Amino acid sequence: MAILLLLPALALVAGVFLWPLLRYGWLSLQASSVLTGLVPVPNGGANWQRLLADGRFWQDAAQTLRFAGLSLALELLLGLALALLLHRPLPRRGLVRAVVLLPWALPTTVMALGWRWILNDPFGPLNGLLQSLGLPAYGFLSQPATTWLFTVLADVWKTTPFVALLLLAGLQAIPSELEEALRLEGAGPWQRLRRLTLPLLAPYLLLAALFRLAQALGVFDLIQVLTGSGPASSTESLALYAYLNAMRFLDFGYAATLMLGMFAVVLGLSALVLLAQALRRRLAEMAP
Amino acid sequence: MTTAGLHCEQLSRRVGDRLLLDGLSLSVAPGESLALLGPSGCGKTTTLRLLAGLDPVSGGRIRLDGEDVTHSPAGERQVAMVFQSYALYPHLSVLANLELGLEVRRVPAPERRRRIAEVLALLQLEGLERRRPAQLSGGQRQRVALARALLRQPRLMLLDEPMSNLDAQLRDQLRPELRALLHRAGHPVIHVTHDQQEAMGLADRIAVLEGGVLQQVGTPQELYHRPANLFVARFLGRPGINLLAGEAGVQLAIRPEQLRLVESGGLPARLLRREWQGSQQLLWLDTSRGELLLLAAADLTPGEQLQVTWKPDDELRFSSASGERLA
Amino acid sequence: MEVSVLMPAPFADATAPLVAAFNREHRELQIAVTRGPLDTEALSDLAISSLLLGDTPYDLLLMDVTWTPKYAAAGWLEPLEPLLGDNALAGMAPGAQLGNTFGGHLWRLPLLADMGLLYWRTDLMDAPPKSLQELAATAADLQRRGVVPWGYVWQGRQYEGLSCVFLEVLRDFGGHWLRLGDDRQSDLDSPEAIAAAGWLGGLVRSGVTPDAVANISESESLQIFGAGQAAFMRNWPYAWAELQKPGSVVAGRVGVVSLGNGTQGSWGFSLLKGSAHPQQAAAVMRWFTSEATSRDLAVRFGYTPVWQSLLDDPQLQEQLPLLPVLRQALECTALRPLTPLYAQLSDVLQRQLSGLISGSGSAEAAMAEAQRQSTLLLRAAAPGA
Repeated sequence: MAILLLLPALALVAGVFLWPLLRYGWLSLQASSVLTGLVPVPNGGANWQRLLADGRFWQDAAQTLRFAGLSLALELLLGLALALLLHRPLPRRGLVRAVVLLPWALPTTVMALGWRWILNDPFGPLNGLLQSLGLPAYGFLSQPATTWLFTVLADVWKTTPFVALLLLAGLQAIPSELEEALRLEGAGPWQRLRRLTLPLLAPYLLLAALFRLAQALGVFDLIQVLTGSGPASSTESLALYAYLNAMRFLDFGYAATLMLGMFAVVLGLSALVLLAQALRRRLAEMAP
Repeated sequence: MTTAGLHCEQLSRRVGDRLLLDGLSLSVAPGESLALLGPSGCGKTTTLRLLAGLDPVSGGRIRLDGEDVTHSPAGERQVAMVFQSYALYPHLSVLANLELGLEVRRVPAPERRRRIAEVLALLQLEGLERRRPAQLSGGQRQRVALARALLRQPRLMLLDEPMSNLDAQLRDQLRPELRALLHRAGHPVIHVTHDQQEAMGLADRIAVLEGGVLQQVGTPQELYHRPANLFVARFLGRPGINLLAGEAGVQLAIRPEQLRLVESGGLPARLLRREWQGSQQLLWLDTSRGELLLLAAADLTPGEQLQVTWKPDDELRFSSASGERLA
Repeated sequence: MEVSVLMPAPFADATAPLVAAFNREHRELQIAVTRGPLDTEALSDLAISSLLLGDTPYDLLLMDVTWTPKYAAAGWLEPLEPLLGDNALAGMAPGAQLGNTFGGHLWRLPLLADMGLLYWRTDLMDAPPKSLQELAATAADLQRRGVVPWGYVWQGRQYEGLSCVFLEVLRDFGGHWLRLGDDRQSDLDSPEAIAAAGWLGGLVRSGVTPDAVANISESESLQIFGAGQAAFMRNWPYAWAELQKPGSVVAGRVGVVSLGNGTQGSWGFSLLKGSAHPQQAAAVMRWFTSEATSRDLAVRFGYTPVWQSLLDDPQLQEQLPLLPVLRQALECTALRPLTPLYAQLSDVLQRQLSGLISGSGSAEAAMAEAQRQSTLLLRAAAPGA
């Protein structure tokens, strides 16, 4: 009887997640490209062999993880700082919160175009600032070694408000009396943050981290507009590579394989995060 | 000797153009327990937060054992507070809840253990050390909060509605325990309540607040029998005091238990309704001087037409204009 | 009866009055233009999405030249010669005829032509350079004398524009992308190709071209040249009108010449498979690309006509000062490889060139890698592979 009640939910999950996965799985075992006239022709594990040997897939995976890792770390850090700031009684708090949220409300492509202009060499405002300080203009988006840092910067600018808002909700769920009690015990702001606020915020931090990680690992339009994957593909993400294969090359068999490869990376990483969390909790319970 | 304990002078708190507390002066001696009593919004929680240092003082002074702490940070005042919600840290076990403050104050581990063991024994919390607050009953939570406050070794103990989260039966049971515990500790105790029964049961003295202004402070008996003004007279005592018209400019008041029924020579009264309360019964009477409440023996079966009387000495006389009691 | 056409927004806007006039005159045949996205790639995404779903709602699609073989191989296009005859391209400029036939069929009828041009500053030199070497030398000299901050700006961002820039240089050095006579072989590691790549990389390394070129597309190069910050610019014909606009620092001081082998970038109509009325669609295609329509679009929007008669027309030349340059440029254009794998080939090349101009590697290494990857791609496409 209970199973019957679960059926609609299971059907939804199957339809939304399982079906595309199965479909991709099937497609990844086919040659389906302009060379076959888009007709799927079984080709064994050729796509998977190609994936394993595809240096570009692994390079993009590393670049995607690098991007996601730094973005996530900065967003959580800045998001927490911003949330703590917004949590304090401020004059015109509602207005301040709305303003802080603006970057999040902006469409990514618009935001990316804005950053492309800000980082323009030599006409962008940032280079204008450098030059007014007597420094030479810098090619923010034309140096393979550093360009990815500026894609992170743009991403952090856009999504920190989201993290901050989520954490702010978490902060507001903490009764103010807890902090007051700890204040009376003689704890300073840093101790209160470390001993009280952060532990109580942990579920929210984890939620924000998972949300952002999934999004950052799928980063697409920001990079598409900001750098076009360049220079020298140094900012290409897995999602962009998969998109390129599907929509530009019309190589659907390999695109499906890439999607699944990317999915495996994301899944593995999420599992790792959850495992670390479970381990931490277990250790905390074991501690006296 | 006069400097020991808590002394506050002309303590005020203003937020914007609202005066939440207006010139409160109070002293509480070590080992003495004072209840801050009043209706909600009267300024009693404001007072507590000013004394704890959680809110800034707008005027006046607070001295603790001779030291001026008016502008000291909360953490440096050595004041403990039991919050209405108990404010136990939900992510920590009972033990960790008790230990956190000691760690923050860098008390060495052996001393931490010793003092926690003492307080656990004192409050009969042994065996609950590993539980989380969510796994405790209301009474247990209160005791943990109290234990945490005691571990602070406070120069002043504050309790904000300590009983309001407990059911009535538990309250009656815990009140004497709490009173004994607080008296033992030897520091001044202030507890805030809107429940006069709790105030009378726990406190040596009661301070009645209304509209941010102290109305009267004194023993429960003083407040009951010699209220400083009409507000105190009406706020204390259940059933409430009867108000009668007096001569011009005077408001008379008399407690329901001081009214007696007589066969003749009294004020004629008509019985409106009655309420049986177990050991006593409460009669609502309509008289020419207004509606009166009378507390009578439980076994009495009154007729509809009655006569009521009282001793003139028992009458309380207040100025109609100011509400102050007239000598 | 209605013929439905999907076009990028600017073309839809430009042709709107003509289409309205057509619809007024032809009660029995109506043209419904769908205004697609502005961006070329976004239009491609939209078209492909609709084609993948089957039963596309469009009869005609206005396509970029590089898409034709890919769309034809995907089976999305209808051959045009049964509808338009074998001589549909007759009368068009030689450079504009390229890129419309593939695998023995005509797939596309060009609406307008586009090609890479060299913009130069008439106030800084008497005549445009006659060779790439002269261009680089003049640019470096002007830069050294402090006349301009930069010598030569072009499109170096990792995208299609970079392939276009390279192809022109490659041709100038005498090289080819695919081996001449055997277009199943890549020819990117030829000495000519290496020299071409080395020349582009050298421009950046010597400072004639700014480092920033690694993220510069058409609009950014126009911005730099338009601000008077560079002596030369490689761009498409549209830049001319932009540079003449009021407020332009360099208005009246800009000359344009053919690059000799400008990369061809034309837009043309294709008939999508499954169209319910191909005959009518063909008629609409013919009307869109007719001399009369072309003349109107040339006069009002400066669109480069594909018809030789219009390019030669003295009256039109008077109205469009740039027309003789375009006419000359269309005598010989460089066509990007006509293969369904073009997107992959271009992607491979862009990657290596981007690495070369933004990094420190050698042209030999970059071209060797481009050659290796291109060969792998082409081998997979070879029959029997």
